[in-house]
Amino acid sequence: MNRRVLHIVLPLVTGALLLTSWHVAVKLSGSDIFPTPQQVLAGLGELAQQGLLLKYIVASLFRVSWGFIAAVLVGVPLGLILGWFRPAYAALNPFIQILRPISPIAWIPVAILWFGVKDTAPVFLIFLASVFPITVSSMAAVQNMQQVYLRAAQNFGLGGLELFRRVIFPAALPQIITGIRIALGVAWLVVVAAEMIAVNSGLGYLIIDARNAGKRYDLVVAGMVMIGLIGLVLDVLVRRLEKFDEVRWGYGQR
Amino acid sequence: MKLIRTLAIVLTLWLLGITAMHGGLNLHWFAKTTGDGTGEKTFGVGFLPVTCHLTCPVTHFINKEMEHHDMFQPMRFNGWPELKEMFIGRSKDMPAAFILAPMAIALREQGVKIKIVHLGHRDGSAVMVHKDSGIFQTTDLRGKTIAVPGRYANQRIIIYRELKKAGMTLDDVKLLEMPPPDMPAALLSHSVDAITSGEPFMGQAELDGYGRVLWQAKDVWPGFISCVLAVHEDAIRDHRDEIQRLVNGIASSGKWIDESMSHRMDAAQFVATNYYNQNPRLLSFVLSKPPDRVTYSRLKPLQPEFEEIERLAKEVGMLQGTAHFEDYADDTFAPDPAKVQAPHFEVKK
Repeated sequence: MNRRVLHIVLPLVTGALLLTSWHVAVKLSGSDIFPTPQQVLAGLGELAQQGLLLKYIVASLFRVSWGFIAAVLVGVPLGLILGWFRPAYAALNPFIQILRPISPIAWIPVAILWFGVKDTAPVFLIFLASVFPITVSSMAAVQNMQQVYLRAAQNFGLGGLELFRRVIFPAALPQIITGIRIALGVAWLVVVAAEMIAVNSGLGYLIIDARNAGKRYDLVVAGMVMIGLIGLVLDVLVRRLEKFDEVRWGYGQR
Repeated sequence: MKLIRTLAIVLTLWLLGITAMHGGLNLHWFAKTTGDGTGEKTFGVGFLPVTCHLTCPVTHFINKEMEHHDMFQPMRFNGWPELKEMFIGRSKDMPAAFILAPMAIALREQGVKIKIVHLGHRDGSAVMVHKDSGIFQTTDLRGKTIAVPGRYANQRIIIYRELKKAGMTLDDVKLLEMPPPDMPAALLSHSVDAITSGEPFMGQAELDGYGRVLWQAKDVWPGFISCVLAVHEDAIRDHRDEIQRLVNGIASSGKWIDESMSHRMDAAQFVATNYYNQNPRLLSFVLSKPPDRVTYSRLKPLQPEFEEIERLAKEVGMLQGTAHFEDYADDTFAPDPAKVQAPHFEVKK
């Protein structure tokens, strides 16, 4: 089978099967509340017509972008430092591991208290959700680095910042990128939780708002579908990073 | 390093672009500022898209239409916890909020310096059962599961009061806490036997054809109080005028809503589209079937009524009984309901 068929036709077939079984399941159950795929599509159309769809997508992307990029800017350097300097690791790692499993939903009261109900609060929640996976993967990347690179570098007399910039960082980069990719998925995943705060735009808000709007579960599912589709696009974009030589050398051949 | 440079450029452009789009589409950065420019200092008032808080958007709307400026900043929330957290955590940004009466009293007991200055509505609550269920009177609820909105919801109190009349206690039923928006679906799927919360969620189950009213609050406890307008004591000290204007506005717009059925239908229309994001049909239903399902007159807080809530809430175990009317209420802002005038306002058709 050629690649085109494999990567375009097969997903379409799976998609069609899933949509059909969704439709049939709703019809068979006789549910008046759960929407069929057509109703969801109509709901999306209605949102698009009101101009809300674009507004909500932009709002969610805005919050995720800022929260996530802030997490990268903090998490990567922090992870590199913790991975390299043992005392720093010993001092901070336990606390990172304590904070890491706490769900962003639990942070909502804190976010409201610190930031009120402006955009900063959801950005903060998304930052929290993504900074720990990034830190931990950068840390592990440095710790797992092959000793041979270091020894070679030391033989060449490299040390200090130069060693970091020319050896440690490039060696850790492939694993850091993998960590970033996972973290982006997490950041996008928590958009619903982050927008539970009283912001009045965003795809997460759309879901929560539709639940308050009487029987508009078509819009709830429309929000879910849009989050899923954008998640797919984000993953495709991040995968492109793997095409760069700086990253590709670190991956296996398969 | 090619990768890092490319990433830095792409991400910077992306951040600038998405920020500009968000600013333009959602925050209206580029919109020309309208209004007289005096821009009254915005006074945040928290509310939820429920019928119990209807006077908040109605007051805001009528004032905006008649005076062309914002009397206050209505801040819409989607659930009780976030509303409460903002209200008690950032009182500078949101000094006033519509909250459940027992919750206001409980917060006061816990040391949060707030006062109830006005009621938000009366009645406007019901117990709904599935239309096919065999529950026709209070005693049929024995052993059944009833969904209630939360720990400090008045619905707990009214159920307790009704059970007591029927010689039962709360141990005879199973109460389950559930966010009101999820209740109609829970009733439809028979996950619970009965649901109770403020409107419009009860009306929705009825409108969609699977809910049957077991009783309306107005029939078993006439003048039932659920949500009140509470403000921080700091705000009472520093912003008396804003609070007085707000209370007057709520009293008079309540009168306006109750003045005629056409006002109720207009309110359903403009509130559903501009503030609640709901189908106006739902609000129209709740505000008209029957017309006294929820009412908005007689909103001055009265001591004996609150003492009854206090007593029952203490019996249920919701309150300690350490805060009293003079601690948690300030009825000096509320005008005498008999003297409240409805504004001369008609919606432009």
